[in-house]
Amino acid sequence: MATLSDILQAEDITSLQTLQLFARTVVEGFTTGQHASPHKGFSVEFRQHRPYVQGDEIRRLDWKIFGRTDRFYIREFDEETNLRATVVLDASGSMGYRGQKGILKFDYARKLAASLAYLLMSQQDAVGLITFDSKIRDVIPCRTKITHLHLLLETMVKTEPGKDTSLAPVLESLAQRLKRRGLVILISDFFDDPAALLRSIGVLRKKGHEIIALQLWDRDEIDFPFGNWARFENLENYDDFLLLDPATIRQRYIEAQQNFAAQLKEGFRKHQVDYLSLPTDESHSAALRSYLALRMR
Amino acid sequence: MSFLHGILLFGAAAFLIPLIIHLLNKRKVVTVRWGAMHLLHEVIRQRKRKMKVEQLLLLIIRIAIPIVLALCLARPVLTALRSLGLGSSSLIVMLDDSFSMRAPAAQTTLPGGTVMQQARQDMQTMITDLPDGSSAQVVLSGGTPRKLLDQATTDRTLIPKQLSEVPSMSGPLSANDAFQAATSALKDSPNATREVVIVSDFQEADWKAIADGAALPALETISKQEPKPQITFYRVGSDLAENISIASADISALVAAESQPIGLRVRIKNHGKRPWQDIPVHLEADGARLRTARVSLAPEGEAVLSFTHAFDKVGDHALSVRLEGDSFADDNAFHSIVQVRNQLNVLLIDGSPGKEPLSGATDFLEIALTPHTVAAATLKDLIRTKKIDLRKIRNEDLRQQEVIIMADVEKLQGHTQNEIDKFVKEGGGLLVFAGPDCDLDWYNREFFRKGEGMYPAAIKGQARADSDSLPARILMQRFTHPSALYFNDARAGRLQDAEFRHWLELTPQGDQTQRIFNLDRNVPLMIEKKYGRGRVIASATTANAEWSNLPLQPFFVPLMQRLTTYLATVGSAPAWQLVGSTIRLPLEKAELGAEFTLRDPTGQTQTLKSAKEGDAVFVQSHSITQPGIFQLQKVGTEKTTLLAFNIDGTESDLKALSSADIQKIAKRYDAAFADTLPAYQALDRTRRHGSELWQPLLILLLGLLFVEVLLQQHIAKG
Repeated sequence: MATLSDILQAEDITSLQTLQLFARTVVEGFTTGQHASPHKGFSVEFRQHRPYVQGDEIRRLDWKIFGRTDRFYIREFDEETNLRATVVLDASGSMGYRGQKGILKFDYARKLAASLAYLLMSQQDAVGLITFDSKIRDVIPCRTKITHLHLLLETMVKTEPGKDTSLAPVLESLAQRLKRRGLVILISDFFDDPAALLRSIGVLRKKGHEIIALQLWDRDEIDFPFGNWARFENLENYDDFLLLDPATIRQRYIEAQQNFAAQLKEGFRKHQVDYLSLPTDESHSAALRSYLALRMR
Repeated sequence: MSFLHGILLFGAAAFLIPLIIHLLNKRKVVTVRWGAMHLLHEVIRQRKRKMKVEQLLLLIIRIAIPIVLALCLARPVLTALRSLGLGSSSLIVMLDDSFSMRAPAAQTTLPGGTVMQQARQDMQTMITDLPDGSSAQVVLSGGTPRKLLDQATTDRTLIPKQLSEVPSMSGPLSANDAFQAATSALKDSPNATREVVIVSDFQEADWKAIADGAALPALETISKQEPKPQITFYRVGSDLAENISIASADISALVAAESQPIGLRVRIKNHGKRPWQDIPVHLEADGARLRTARVSLAPEGEAVLSFTHAFDKVGDHALSVRLEGDSFADDNAFHSIVQVRNQLNVLLIDGSPGKEPLSGATDFLEIALTPHTVAAATLKDLIRTKKIDLRKIRNEDLRQQEVIIMADVEKLQGHTQNEIDKFVKEGGGLLVFAGPDCDLDWYNREFFRKGEGMYPAAIKGQARADSDSLPARILMQRFTHPSALYFNDARAGRLQDAEFRHWLELTPQGDQTQRIFNLDRNVPLMIEKKYGRGRVIASATTANAEWSNLPLQPFFVPLMQRLTTYLATVGSAPAWQLVGSTIRLPLEKAELGAEFTLRDPTGQTQTLKSAKEGDAVFVQSHSITQPGIFQLQKVGTEKTTLLAFNIDGTESDLKALSSADIQKIAKRYDAAFADTLPAYQALDRTRRHGSELWQPLLILLLGLLFVEVLLQQHIAKG
């Protein structure tokens, strides 16, 4: 059985335990926690009585009032709900890039997903996991049980980056699967058509999901530091390659990369999606900390 | 194309280095498997074609750099310009030996040297640089062009030696005449490759008209010869801009009587831009200073000074004017010889004596030649006239005469004509005035004799200006005849005031004639002809007022006096000559074989021997090369003849053509131009060996390096 320590270092766990994740929006939940819920249910915080209407649950009748007045009243409470957070982890071929600093992008993504899962579960939120490449590969529904974390981690450990990315259809099918509103944490390099991607993000948002987009970059993909002539092969399709002198296009590549990132950032902003660009040579916990600080505003 | 260091061409193989690096780079590619291919595709899609071109260009430049470097080091020589004959050539140097070449040189390797010395030194180098077997000839181009050597020489030491004796005292350079002389020298060139170098200071006075477009037919002929000679204009310049000189001096009389005052009018010119104050001008007679005047000159201005002096002894006297002040002193003096005589006998032959005063053909002449005698003045006339009626003439009347003047003479009787013929041939002067009584048939038939006779021109007939048309006048132009020089100055009288109603239409023939004055109807008024040792002057008009009002003009007196004294002195030495000309004095036949001593102004002497040419006996010198007074003395006698030599006044204006103007002339005739010896040598090397190309190649190399860096930066920026 996979354990957290398979993915996270001890110091990472210690560091993460100090973090608190606060949901910015109220989402549905069924366990008490720190998330205020607009849903009225049975809980400790009484809100009001109201007359019974057909269809109300019998168990929510206030029998004491019925005994005194012979009328049916329903007791309503303010409910503190759990956050339903789904970590959507990109396991496409492009995530299998290991840069000149030796960091595998998918490895970084896995650690980041594990950290988030741990954090969320440590505050009693329900956490699920979906991995995908060109289609959805594994789906683990949201649970709050701490034993559920092991299932999540085990899935992450056994997942390896595979085929090409088709993020937009995956997100659209995700919108169909996630019946209840919640937090969707997208961990990906988003190497896909930005227009289609943003369109599918819009679909998710319409369903009421809050989305956090964490874009991973290897340092090589930012700085393009290659010197000699090189044959660039597509990790997702080895037939796609380019033979060129990297020095001759460095400047233009950097511009193209910045344009791509800016385009995504702008699109996410329009859909009110929190976006963070994360180079893989930065400590993932440090990057996460800065993101959470942003969320606490 | 050839190479001075051909072995270094192998260095061009270094072009393989960038090529190999390029190929190796392509082979040693690393494989990068990554995901951001869509970004690369985006970059490449826009620039794929451009990148290929840029990469290829960069490769070509990198390959070209070592090749160009190797070419540059190998010093290639473009031999397309090489002249046909690789070996020996014939060099004709046209050396301007005019007086202006004596000015201080501008850039001289000889401190204090003159332009001529610099030219000589440069020419020596030019001749030394000639390939073995080459010949050289020098045409001295100032004044009358002449060859320095009889034949072109291959001896390189001969020309410099001969040149050292060239004093550069000649008159103005006549470019066309000089090129004609060069053409003749070119014909004698022993080699097929021929070069003509014009070495001159390109004085503006000599070259301005050519720079302005005047043709040089002789140079055109040279430039059209096959194989075409290489023509080079080589300038040796002076930096002397300031110069004052005696531009001219006019003497009122060429021959004077004892104690008769002679006027000397001196024109002093400032050729520079600075003013001169109080320049002393000295009058010297027979070597003794008589008096000094002072004159101030504005920039490029001139001043005229007048002196008078009377000699009290019969004989030849030297009269000089000298000024002081400027650094270029050779043109600061003017010398002349004045003949002082007891009297000068003139016979007037009157063809139609008049009964009334001034109605005779010679009456006006008599007054003009002896004004003091006629006026019964105390002053003495030099000329003594004897008037005689044509019908009463006897042979004895011709004896003891120096000039005979015929006026309106119908014709001469055979014996009289023979006597006059003899008189002129022996050195006498004859002045013939026309008139209504003249038998024009006789004049043409017997007197002109188709150019063989004494009379200078055939007579076409009598012409007249109708009463309703304007009378003919003297055509005002610069007069060159010695007797007319005086009238070039307006102060001598208004010649154009004379009006002519009738005149003879004279048509001069032969090269022995010279026009003295012309009428504005394009016919001569007075013509001179050399006849034997004497001269004959024919006038197209009368000596009295019958055909014109000439005798009524104030200038009639000096005009007749000058004509008469000129005719009386033609056999003797001229008042002065230009430096560069020779002394040639006619002698009696008995003097054949006599020796003469010629003493120059510095006191050096040389012996001359009389010689015979045809019937004439004379004594002749080489070209005179310095200005001043010369003395010619017959050995064993006291008889001394004085001779004066002056430099040409036009040579004193040292202004030279600009380089641009000289280049303009050179370009017109497809000639080259150089103004320094290194420039000439470079030109010569190019012609002889071809043009070295390492300099343009070096510039190309630097350009390639620069472009390579720029291209690399451009590519890196994407």
